[in-house]
Amino acid sequence: MEKRTRADTFVEEISASPGGEGICLCIQCGTCTASCPNADRMDHTPSQLIAMARAGMKEEVLSSNAMWHCLSCYLCTVRCPRGIKQTDLMHALECLAIREGLSSGRTRTPAMYRSFNDFVYSLGSLPEFGFMTWFYMLTNPLRAFRMIPVALSLLRHGRLSIKARRLTPEGTSQLKAILDKAESLGGAS
Amino acid sequence: MERRIGVYICHCGSNIAGTVDCEKVTEFARGLDSVVVARDYKYMCSDPGQNLIKDDIKEHGLSRVVVASCSPRMHEPTFRRACQDAGLNQYLFEMANIREHCSWVHEDKGMATEKAKALVSAAVRRVYYHEPLETKEVPVNPNVLVVGGGIAGIQAALEVADSEHQVYLVEREPSIGGHMAMFDKTFPTLDCAACILTPKMTTVGQHPYIQLMTYSEVEDVSGYVGNFKVKIRKKARYIDEDKCTGCGQCQELCPISVPSEFDCGLGKRKAIYIPFPYAVPNKAVVDPVKCSHLKGLAEGKDVCRICQKGIEKKGIPGCEADAIDFEQKDEIVEVEVSNIIVATGFQQFDPSVIYQYGYGRYDNVLTGLEFERMSNASGPTNGEVLLADGRKPESIAILHCVGSRDENYHKYCSRVCCMYSLKYSHLLREKVPEAAVYQLYIDMRCAGSGYEEFYERLQEEGVNFVRGRAGEITNIAERPEEEGKLIVICEDTLVRRKRRIPVDMVIMSCALEPRADADQIAKTFSLSRKADGFFLEKHPKLDPVATMTDGIFIVGCCQSPKDIPDTVAQASAAASRALAMISKGKVEIEAAIAVVDEELCAGCKICVDLCPYKAISFDEEKKVSRINEAVCKGCGVCVAACPSGAITGKHFTTEQIMAEIEGVLV
Repeated sequence: MEKRTRADTFVEEISASPGGEGICLCIQCGTCTASCPNADRMDHTPSQLIAMARAGMKEEVLSSNAMWHCLSCYLCTVRCPRGIKQTDLMHALECLAIREGLSSGRTRTPAMYRSFNDFVYSLGSLPEFGFMTWFYMLTNPLRAFRMIPVALSLLRHGRLSIKARRLTPEGTSQLKAILDKAESLGGAS
Repeated sequence: MERRIGVYICHCGSNIAGTVDCEKVTEFARGLDSVVVARDYKYMCSDPGQNLIKDDIKEHGLSRVVVASCSPRMHEPTFRRACQDAGLNQYLFEMANIREHCSWVHEDKGMATEKAKALVSAAVRRVYYHEPLETKEVPVNPNVLVVGGGIAGIQAALEVADSEHQVYLVEREPSIGGHMAMFDKTFPTLDCAACILTPKMTTVGQHPYIQLMTYSEVEDVSGYVGNFKVKIRKKARYIDEDKCTGCGQCQELCPISVPSEFDCGLGKRKAIYIPFPYAVPNKAVVDPVKCSHLKGLAEGKDVCRICQKGIEKKGIPGCEADAIDFEQKDEIVEVEVSNIIVATGFQQFDPSVIYQYGYGRYDNVLTGLEFERMSNASGPTNGEVLLADGRKPESIAILHCVGSRDENYHKYCSRVCCMYSLKYSHLLREKVPEAAVYQLYIDMRCAGSGYEEFYERLQEEGVNFVRGRAGEITNIAERPEEEGKLIVICEDTLVRRKRRIPVDMVIMSCALEPRADADQIAKTFSLSRKADGFFLEKHPKLDPVATMTDGIFIVGCCQSPKDIPDTVAQASAAASRALAMISKGKVEIEAAIAVVDEELCAGCKICVDLCPYKAISFDEEKKVSRINEAVCKGCGVCVAACPSGAITGKHFTTEQIMAEIEGVLV
């Protein structure tokens, strides 16, 4: 049977990504925006992002900073009257943005994800010291100096480990297999 | 005996012919056993289509007819009548559904044609074994029962009673009037609800053909269309209704105050009370839970009775009509009726479950009904719009879709909220003209006569319409102007900004939902419920007031949320349906029913309990089950359940069903 496709393929693309399924159900009531603690920092409100996506504004949507400001508090998801998993949708847009090379220059979150992923992939664990240093190297090394007092304070309280705990070689290779699989299923990294 | 079968394949325009190759199916039918004629035609239900059948019956001496077309729910009666007209017993007809069951649900033409052939083959094999059956007619009782005394029940009762047929109107509360009696004004014409309702209420109270039973509930319904027997419990009112003059002296004297249900808890009533000033009947009622004398009686003590005795020291008399009777007991009344009109209404969604809206946590967050009472001149504030501390509000927000259009609560649109929200805005502009009014909507749904014009009027009256649903209501101020206010947080989706709107009062336009005991009511009256919980009508478009149980009708908001004009129209429709049957004087009983072979019946009584229509009784003398032909709907539950195989469903015999299955498979 021939599959009916919408005229606009961008919505199709989002609907097909994990988390993006409900995009066609949105009634533009704005409950997500009203519930979002970070909406004021976003260049487009969460519901506006959906409207833009449905209008086929792919570039504007994927280069928006909105999804990168999502804190995953899930208030929008809990309150959405249409049962749309807005938080998951935001993360789906992040994946698409990275894949399309359109992730916003105004946010460092993609670099944070990058750094996080690199460490977990190679070590199987997350040594905070190295992870944060690498993150500042990728973004703005000067900022790292501003964070020194915080780092010292964390160190004093035993909250900052310098030495990485390594998994067994077997464990690391198993984890790599899992992450490779996730990437092959469409996860962006 | 030789069977001569005629088969007719309908194109239904392109509905069937677009997916099924009707010529091929006809050709196939011609080759089937006992088929003497097979034809296809554009519209079998049309007059020329029916004439094809009639002529063939006469010309070819057909003894059986199969029509392959739409659902039997649509046109089985049409084709049965055509057969009957041509002198063929209507039960010698069979319908194959090749539209809903085939062309509408398939896309592959070849496969759909094959399926249509299989369905036709099944019908042909089945009809081979059909037996002629005779329908019976039974006389009907001319009385009607109306359950629920809101505007729906009142209207239905008056329509029937005006034709001089006896109506029993049963209302659970002490007075009729329902929700409409609580309203202030009505959209879009702004008539005062009481002004247009009370004349109807008093007419009901005085009508010679209406027996009004308030504070009563239907306990049991037995019998069948045309001849229902209904058991009604008249709850003890502790008042002799014949003596009570409605003077109100008792409620003046009663020392016990409790929140008034009629005023949504915003005002008080006494333990002995008349529900509201224009109650019908205008009789007092004693609240058995709150009355200290009745509570005392339970412990064997004689306390209070001030309402009865008065206050001797001050020379104030008690009930002068001697109408108070603490000895009164519940009473069971039995009535016989032909039709039952169920008008049990709705209840308002309880918004306290939406925690972020703060209903019950913040003062000055009101439900729609609470606002109706506040705005009503006979309400607890004499019609003044006041905050909990007695101040007048400077700003008010009205929230649409609270509990409606929401996956988490009710998916459906409650249909009336947009309009009543507009009405609230108007009342607010009128009563607190200096206050800012915000209306937060998702979509404005103003479909109805004069409704869009009313919306426009409110735009002119200066209401601030904000397109966005409230995310939450908080009292945590972030800016000086928010201090001491309720802040409604929403996205103004037209300007794409998150907004914080500080207001003094929030009114929530809550969903209309099925009553909490709808399930119980459904059981009592053998009704089905839709996925949303409201009662299921027989057909959503073509039979919106009848139900699957003949003789039982549903009207008003127990069927689905609707406004007053629609409710009144539906009530009148149900009344006319009931009257149509009464004026005919008799009702036809379905012939396709179950019969018990008394020789085989073991008397296990399994069928008696299973029958959803209470059609099976047990003959204790002969120890066999007996089916009441008039009540049986031929559903087949007993047939399937009978361990002795003693019950046969006429028109659904094992032979017929097996032949049908064979036909599909071969």
